[in-house]
Amino acid sequence: MAAGVVWVALKGHPLGVTRHHCSVGGPMGMLRAVCPHGPPWYPRVRYGTPWVPIPSPHRSLRFHPRSAPSHSAGAMVVLRAGLCPGLTEEMIQLLRANNIRTVVDFVSSDLEDVAQSCSLSYKALVAVRRVLLAQFSAFPTNGADLYEELKSSTAILPTGNPSLDQLLDAGLYTGEVTELAGAPGSGKTQVCLSIAASVSLGLRQHVFFLDSTGGFTASRLYQMLQARVEDKEEQVESSAGPLKAVLIDSVSAVLSPLLGGRQSEGLAIMMQLARELKTLAKEFSVAVVVTNQVTRDSSTGALKSALGRSWSFVPSTRVLLQGRAVPWEEGAAPHTACLAKSPRQPTGMQVQLDIGSDAVQEQRPVTPTP
Amino acid sequence: MGDAFRRAESGTQLLARLEGRSSLKNLEPNLFAEEGSPVHGDVIEFHGPEGTGKTEMLYHLVARCIIPKSGGGLEVEVMFIDTDYHFDMLRLVTILEHRLEQSTEEMMKRCLGRLFLVNCNSSTQLLLTLYSLENMFCTHPSLCLLILDSISAFYWIDRSNGGESLNSQEMNLKKCANFLEKLVREHHLVLFATTQSIMQKSTNSAEGFFPLKLQSEIDADYRPYLCKSWQQMVTHRIFFSKQFNSGNSTGFTLVSCHLKKKHVAKRSFSIAECGVQF
Repeated sequence: MAAGVVWVALKGHPLGVTRHHCSVGGPMGMLRAVCPHGPPWYPRVRYGTPWVPIPSPHRSLRFHPRSAPSHSAGAMVVLRAGLCPGLTEEMIQLLRANNIRTVVDFVSSDLEDVAQSCSLSYKALVAVRRVLLAQFSAFPTNGADLYEELKSSTAILPTGNPSLDQLLDAGLYTGEVTELAGAPGSGKTQVCLSIAASVSLGLRQHVFFLDSTGGFTASRLYQMLQARVEDKEEQVESSAGPLKAVLIDSVSAVLSPLLGGRQSEGLAIMMQLARELKTLAKEFSVAVVVTNQVTRDSSTGALKSALGRSWSFVPSTRVLLQGRAVPWEEGAAPHTACLAKSPRQPTGMQVQLDIGSDAVQEQRPVTPTP
Repeated sequence: MGDAFRRAESGTQLLARLEGRSSLKNLEPNLFAEEGSPVHGDVIEFHGPEGTGKTEMLYHLVARCIIPKSGGGLEVEVMFIDTDYHFDMLRLVTILEHRLEQSTEEMMKRCLGRLFLVNCNSSTQLLLTLYSLENMFCTHPSLCLLILDSISAFYWIDRSNGGESLNSQEMNLKKCANFLEKLVREHHLVLFATTQSIMQKSTNSAEGFFPLKLQSEIDADYRPYLCKSWQQMVTHRIFFSKQFNSGNSTGFTLVSCHLKKKHVAKRSFSIAECGVQF
């Protein structure tokens, strides 16, 4: 999380101390001031507020933008001089002599014993512990603040397909990972293209389409755009809005070669990817859509999405697509979409999808089956 | 100066302990096999495959806690540690709106003000966050419920980072479990944690863990995979599963086991707009 170390002068601090070590980060860019002589204090400062840097004795001050969380807190961070103010080289050497090498070792040890055996000042150790904890741990947010933040940043993106929108309770929610699972030919890529067309044209927001199967066809996308809007100017105009949707087609093509066998590295990579996708969705308020294959459940015979049990916990919404387009057969089974997992709706709802050749979205009757 | 400093720190802790934490006895009697649960110091584990209602049950518990006494709740504060970005604030707000008689902005703000949320990205960060939350438990005497969703989120990543030795793979989770036990004991909290069933049921399933009489009740494929320190500190384990009714709706069942006294209870529930209903 936080990696910015800035000294600021804050007037009016309740304890009357005017110089603090601040770490920047947290879900709303909260500034967290850790005073070495008292409890942590959270003034509410949003990003962009100008700060006045004060020259401090520690010249090694850097300011990083919010770095990826996994880098700073994932690995066991080794104690080194300058990691935080107050941590000097002599202190490091004394601590190392007592087998305290990493941040976790330092924080979990009993500071009274350490003060005695290393002959260091207890007060200095407590101050360093406070600052290290502020730097490497996560901040708690209040529910009311988080709700305010979400009310302004959550958006619902229409998918371009009215029956699918109904299934998803008005559309794709930003901040969540949605999964489209289906057999080959069930229409996953078509639905993704339809979402891309709808968001970029209808909402004028950027869409990031990651294609790992080679199924992306620009001509099909152009066809869809043509069907929506007649004006050629509007079709090619680049959208001005921020990134709102990330579509990954497909994630199983990338991950299934890694799974299987007795090693757990494949699963670890899959869970790391899942974590990155969810972080992307939550921190930047984008809707992440992934497509996946299906397999049959060994005991019940029902369709379920591939990539195993651990992956099944990752998406918050799952839609199973069925129906195969057989070009030479008239009256082939239409494409259907069934809601398999949702945080808001009861599961089991099923609708008919129109993924026709002209992609003009007609109003199809919704047939919810129990 | 150093002595006075040390005394001041333990003074706050002493005050917090003396003031006492409110009882959570009426939190949700349907979750437990015997009366008068949960008591302070209990560690309850929710276990089940995906889509079986564990997170919904947590929302139900959070709503019971943060609604004021006038609305039928317990009016206590809750600390929710979310390790896999699963928490859906909008869903919680929908549940609260259904349960409060007058759901004004002011009332909603006051209820949500009793909820604290933390997101953790790795097991190391979880451990360090627990250390930094210790201060918060001292200063908030009405904070008596700690929820951890889920504690098994880092399992594969830790296993891969730990290399060959099982000890180093489990080291982080063991430290977290030990520190959680210390927190729960010293500050008189109740801990609810979810674990995901990510392992297949082994052929000689769960033989040594439950006597045969109970095994028929628990037809869940439970295979313990977390470290021993965690398994030893759990006092109640609740298994969630889906129940396919003959009618339209999908029901859910939970089987609640008290691990020391070996009491088992089985309940079914459904999930509606307003949350869990028994």
